[in-house]
Amino acid sequence: MNTQFKKGVLELCVLALLTKKNMYGYDLVNEISKNIEISEGTIYPLLRRLKNVGYVTTYLQESQEGAPRKYYKLTPSGLKITGEMQKDWEDFVKKVGSLLRGGDING
Amino acid sequence: MDRAQYLNILEKNLKSLKKEETDDILQDFTEYFEIGIERGRSQQELMNSLGSPKILARQILFESYVKQAEKSASAAHIGKAVFTSIGLSFFNLIFILPLFLIIFSVLSALFIFAVVISAAGVTGAIGSLFLPLISQYVTFNTFIHPAVMAFAFLGLGAFGVIFFIGDIFFSRFLFRLTARYLRFNLEIIRGRRQQDEG
Repeated sequence: MNTQFKKGVLELCVLALLTKKNMYGYDLVNEISKNIEISEGTIYPLLRRLKNVGYVTTYLQESQEGAPRKYYKLTPSGLKITGEMQKDWEDFVKKVGSLLRGGDING
Repeated sequence: MDRAQYLNILEKNLKSLKKEETDDILQDFTEYFEIGIERGRSQQELMNSLGSPKILARQILFESYVKQAEKSASAAHIGKAVFTSIGLSFFNLIFILPLFLIIFSVLSALFIFAVVISAAGVTGAIGSLFLPLISQYVTFNTFIHPAVMAFAFLGLGAFGVIFFIGDIFFSRFLFRLTARYLRFNLEIIRGRRQQDEG
């Protein structure tokens, strides 16, 4: 898959993961890189951007292993935008799918 | 290179940020290393997956400057963003810098023009008012009434002031445009780097 294409949907992936539960940075990065091949460093600037525009907030929580961890949590505006982005994405995939199938029949 | 050196290089390359922000970023990556090692990954493996600390720092810096530039369209922030993006690739050196210089010189010229016009208007207006007083010493061949001349110069001065205000709005608009262009440029650079890697 094209790397630039992956990058575009990365933001949506992070937001979608956070709709299920609050997560800390490492797990978010890990969860995404398990499915999508990407340089893990690029997710941190992305998380900072999502925080700066107010889609996510962070809080610290103690862990059993040691130092407290920074958790990421969706804000109400983040939840709203995730819904919109998900709708856009599904719409886009549907259209591309029908285009590709159309191409198959004609080609 | 070990983890401490990696974080050190990252910190050095982030030194133009506020201290709290740098600390926050370093904390994020310290946490990343700690958890990664707990989960049984090696330092080297973790550093490889993060990529070069210098490139990582530049991505973070650029994100931060573009954000500031978009929020408060000030010349200093735009300048920082421009120079950071110059650091990102040679492409920008031949592309953004001339653009930035052109914008800067056009704006300077417009402001100087506005100031000169205002100054000429004010001096002209004052001069015309005093013309009747000095006309016995200075021969000034004109059929135009001094009052008319005074008003004409006053008009010129007012035009200069309005032009100056217009300049301010125009430069704000240009700064915003530059900020948007830089963001667009960042997307291109990112895309290109990924293609290089891939």
